Amino acid sequence: MTVARETLDALQNPDGGWPYHRGSSWTEPTVFALLALACQANLSSQAADQAAGWLETMQRADGGFAPRMGVDESTWVTALVLLLPRRVLARLNADAALRWILSETGRESGWLQRMRVAMLSGQVNRGGFEGWPWFPETAAWVAPTSFAILALGEARKRDPRREIDERTRSGQEFLMSRMCADGGWNHGSSKALGYDGPSYPETTGLALLALRDLKNEPRLTRSLERAAWHLETCQSSEAASWLQLGLLAHGRTITRSNSPKRSAGVQQIALQMILEHALDGGGVFGS
Amino acid sequence: MQPHTITRRNLLAVGSLAIAASSCSRRVAPPRATVSILRQPAYDQTIYDTVRRLLALHKLDVRGKRVLLKPNLVEFDSCTTINTHPMLVHAALEAFRELGASVRIAEGPGHRRITLDLADAAGYFHTIPSFEDLFTDLNLDDVAMVRLRRPASKLRKLYLPHTALGADLLVSMPKMKTHHWVGATLSMKNFFGLVPGGVYGWPKNVLHWAGINESIADLHQVFPRTFAIVDGVDGMEGNGPIQGTPKHAGVLVAGRNLPAVDATCCRIMGIDPSKIGYLRLSAPPDALAEAGILQTGESVRSVRTNFQLLPEFQSFRWNGS
Repeated sequence: MTVARETLDALQNPDGGWPYHRGSSWTEPTVFALLALACQANLSSQAADQAAGWLETMQRADGGFAPRMGVDESTWVTALVLLLPRRVLARLNADAALRWILSETGRESGWLQRMRVAMLSGQVNRGGFEGWPWFPETAAWVAPTSFAILALGEARKRDPRREIDERTRSGQEFLMSRMCADGGWNHGSSKALGYDGPSYPETTGLALLALRDLKNEPRLTRSLERAAWHLETCQSSEAASWLQLGLLAHGRTITRSNSPKRSAGVQQIALQMILEHALDGGGVFGS
Repeated sequence: MQPHTITRRNLLAVGSLAIAASSCSRRVAPPRATVSILRQPAYDQTIYDTVRRLLALHKLDVRGKRVLLKPNLVEFDSCTTINTHPMLVHAALEAFRELGASVRIAEGPGHRRITLDLADAAGYFHTIPSFEDLFTDLNLDDVAMVRLRRPASKLRKLYLPHTALGADLLVSMPKMKTHHWVGATLSMKNFFGLVPGGVYGWPKNVLHWAGINESIADLHQVFPRTFAIVDGVDGMEGNGPIQGTPKHAGVLVAGRNLPAVDATCCRIMGIDPSKIGYLRLSAPPDALAEAGILQTGESVRSVRTNFQLLPEFQSFRWNGS
């Protein structure tokens, strides 16, 4: 882990953010690098200050965060920011970010879209489970919904509100409704033109992590079996990390096995460090 | 970050075209696009020579130019026909290098975000030496904002990767596949992989809401310096582009004009190109008609093999020669 930590330190850009691999800073790898360094108790105040300074410039007037400099939209990465350690979050307007998260929903949940679908198909969607999109004005998907649920879990500790609980429950039900026939999750289309889509390892792990409050939910039994199967067969160390985090979140025992096959990006290094912390019994993503 | 702006050179070029157009009293038919079909029965060593011959047929002058190969990478799979075959990409890499180009490979998969692991599973690391050094993940590349001029879709701007915007020649290398939303996915639809997931997510759902056919047409306008080499050795029929079944067609199809290349591929697959929405939006009917395309190599008739179509697309069947 020392090598991983040193690599992360070396990859921090002079502006305070981190790139995915090399080049300009992006919000997502910056948050993951900070989370990894924080959970290893290796987040220096200088690195944290610089990163917080860069993140401040990513927060937009609507409270959300842009994925990188030059993109004039707040996106799903806002949820990631809310997972940051409090000392970093203190530099940002976390309340505005939370309001932005609570205001976002998949476009399919809006009344206009539901009315349109009802008129075209003759079917009224009464489910109304609200997930989160990657990008405003688009549909909700598994990964951004999972990160938003994790973010709301953190926010609830600071600011317990019924609205947060309701959106969390709705997001959890959204994930349950998008479960694939095999028990896992893909990006969020469990069916296309009536055909079942197979699950992916990385989204299965992430969804299980987001559903960690539903430990005794019988519907997840098959999901945990599927995750274990994916872990046996998956060809990506990053996907394996998500699977292990998801299984650990539900009390499953994991053996330390995976290491990146090739030169890894910031995301992969950080995720590996977060996983190591979880395997040592530490809390991750606010748990 | 500056939006792409009109340069003086572009302005002069557009002005010249406008003057030339206004000075013509008669309507002159545009030159026919050349599309080449060459047989390639299998993914073996002969594919290297076939690709060289394809490039020679089109007399591409790429010496000293930046050529970007854009394959279609979708799933963790080296056994089915979901992804562009790595041997074809390697053959193109070598052929363009022999012509003096500086070549890179780039892709931004739409569903799976672990791109390098996906490329590894698809056989790219094994087949292409130093693949990681040659490859750019377009989902995570630096981006610039591009304003769309007269967009067909609801989009007014797109953030697009520097690596693609900076290429002198963008080579679309799709798999020949049916597609359960638009009928067929070929060299034009392959450009969805240019849209950065790092900004828009996985999938790039903003394109779906803006209109899939319309977004394809818009992307085609943004990238005018293009060439296509379609992997039609083994394609996919039925419920493509992911859950279909393999279909052997035994061809490579190439050309500079992407709508013409895709129209030709459609006919090879037994699909009426006039039924494909993004083709209708991108080129006039004359340019997509058989008579509007200068065919070299094999004829469509000699290599046509009907791809199975989903029930929803039965009306797309081409009843031509």
